[in-house]
Amino acid sequence: MKKFLNSTSAVTLAIALLAAGSVTAIANDRLVELAEDPANWVMTGRDYNAQNYSRSTEISKENVAQLKPAWSFSTGVLHGHEGTPLVVDGMMYIHSPFPNTTFALALDDPGKIVWQNKPQQDPTARAVACCDVVNRGLAYWPGDDETDPLIFRTQLDGLIVAMDAKTGETRWQMENSDIAVGSTLTIAPYVIKDQVIVGSSGAELGVRGYVTAYDVRSGEQKWRAYATGPDEDIRLAENFNEPNPHYGQFGLGLETWEGEAWKIGGGTNWGWYAYDPGEDLFYYGSGNPAPWNETMRPGDNKWTMAIWGRDPDDGMAKFAYQKTPHDEWDYAGVNVMMLSDQEDREGNMRKLLTHPDRNGIVYTLDRTNGDLVSADKIDDTVNWVTEVDMETGIPVRDPEFGTRMDHVGRDICPSAMGYHNQGHDSYDPERQSFFMGINHICMDWEPFMLPYRAGQFFVGATLNMYPGPKGDRQANLGLGQVKAYDAINNEFKWEVMERFAAWGGTLATAGGVMFYGTLDGFIKARDSDTGDLLWKFKLPSGAVGHPMSYEHDGRQYIAIYYGVGGWPGVGLVFDLNDPTAGLGAVGAFSELANYTQMGGGVMVFSLDGESVYTDDINTGEYEPTSLIRGDRDAAKKQPSDRNPS
Amino acid sequence: VPALAYDGTNCRAPGNCWEAKPGYPEKVEGSEYDPQHDPMELNKQQESIQGMEARNAQRLNHFKQTGEFIFDVSEIPASSA
Repeated sequence: MKKFLNSTSAVTLAIALLAAGSVTAIANDRLVELAEDPANWVMTGRDYNAQNYSRSTEISKENVAQLKPAWSFSTGVLHGHEGTPLVVDGMMYIHSPFPNTTFALALDDPGKIVWQNKPQQDPTARAVACCDVVNRGLAYWPGDDETDPLIFRTQLDGLIVAMDAKTGETRWQMENSDIAVGSTLTIAPYVIKDQVIVGSSGAELGVRGYVTAYDVRSGEQKWRAYATGPDEDIRLAENFNEPNPHYGQFGLGLETWEGEAWKIGGGTNWGWYAYDPGEDLFYYGSGNPAPWNETMRPGDNKWTMAIWGRDPDDGMAKFAYQKTPHDEWDYAGVNVMMLSDQEDREGNMRKLLTHPDRNGIVYTLDRTNGDLVSADKIDDTVNWVTEVDMETGIPVRDPEFGTRMDHVGRDICPSAMGYHNQGHDSYDPERQSFFMGINHICMDWEPFMLPYRAGQFFVGATLNMYPGPKGDRQANLGLGQVKAYDAINNEFKWEVMERFAAWGGTLATAGGVMFYGTLDGFIKARDSDTGDLLWKFKLPSGAVGHPMSYEHDGRQYIAIYYGVGGWPGVGLVFDLNDPTAGLGAVGAFSELANYTQMGGGVMVFSLDGESVYTDDINTGEYEPTSLIRGDRDAAKKQPSDRNPS
Repeated sequence: VPALAYDGTNCRAPGNCWEAKPGYPEKVEGSEYDPQHDPMELNKQQESIQGMEARNAQRLNHFKQTGEFIFDVSEIPASSA
């Protein structure tokens, strides 16, 4: 590893990174430029580093207690509101769960809906969604000389749709996933250069996972890469895993399965992406193998549960590291990928990727070649694995906490919901802290045999879930944690318990405040250095998305969706009582309904609640147009003209 | 209690470290845990994807030729499909 920066000063480092960002940004240049402007939030994670980090400093730990609602918007839809709105060019783009309506609001007068695009979807799509009818967000392409800027949306029924960002008109829509075989879409699309990347969902219905790239202008499919099967389907580069041959290289998409089980082997990707323009690689994680019954699929089941580095132009994989060989717990490995450039303990600058996984391990890899840099337990109560061997990359399993047929596994930590789930976390480059929203849930697990029928659920396990050892198992509370993590020194700077799982992710700000929403319906602000609670506000409903920040007319705003749902909300959302229903989530979250009900919308905050409407109370007021006023005046003068006898 | 051996560290090849747990079969085919998958069912996903890719190609072709996007492939004129 070459040393390319000697300074240890965080400030110098930040400046150098900024400069490096603008030099190496070979594409999408315009998107990188837009992300530099604090007035915008152009993609999931804010920019290609996916740090959810706002450089705005107006809201700070000194004044955050003055934060008040500035305005709000109801989407008119219930169910889980995951993800976060985008803000580009003075417009906020809002997405909703099924039926996945998209709204555009102008920040100069957010009371007026500029456009809305409401698709017609086959309602049977709802029946094959494993974990509520959520959607994780939109994507934006800035346009060029010939094509106007576009907003991209995925739909639960499997379509990827391009809409004109100014008018909302549908430009094209293509079929990516087929609900007839249990394949749906909940992932947010992701734009790299002139391509839009689309993931997949449905491992609970035996869907073999794939990721696809489409041309932004036409919808033409550029490439498609699978998670299992023959190497040509998986799209492995000639030098795949050359720096780490012990991770495994060729032929394993078939050899680590018995027979044709890989055809229904899961490995869908419904989480998040990150992209390094300098390396020209994008990163994501593949999900769990199918079915949950491990006895029905002997083998390591590659390449499910892997961290991928792929070339966005042709989809070829440069590296992959399988975190959970032969999954036995549904630790779907799709979680957030946060990029950072940090000095390692030997003082070498490293280009890193940090990834808190469902399996309770937070992985940090060298994102240029896939080298394992650290693999730490998110909480010391993780018990399925004793440690990750840093030389071999192998998780050393504790057989006592494995699962198998004719056996009830008990007190396994984490549960299938993971110690970390779909929440998009944040990284503060000044403090070199990852702020992670964590789950504290363990489980009992008993598999059962079942046939595969395309379009039907293919799970094969009965679960009981409950708070982890640090929670209150009598009251069924204490299901979450929030922690600040240092990936280089392998330590937690602070940690706090939460009543429920911190499901939605976090936002870091240069003001020294980190924000997150809670399932019981609060948005909270904590001191980035100490974790002290500085401010909170009671939202209409629980939050399962992550906060974002933008500036408008020089004022900093914090926005977050409310609307409880997702996997933890299935009991409340679908009115279920059997504790093993909802894939075991109903029991764990039996107390949730005592703290929140369904909702759906956006809340926007600013210091003292100042907004375009407090700046000028007449903003957005009804004003008769001159034409109408003229008609009225004419009618007064000549009433007979309007009502001829 | 058996089934306490497999810890993931004994690899037959790089990236291939699975072992049967004590008392459980190396191969499930023919065992009491044989999933007995129906090959017709296993092929349905690939058939579905081929169908979607063919319909998308028709949509793209018409879009590229005319600048007009039609989603319903039955509405796409034969000349541009």
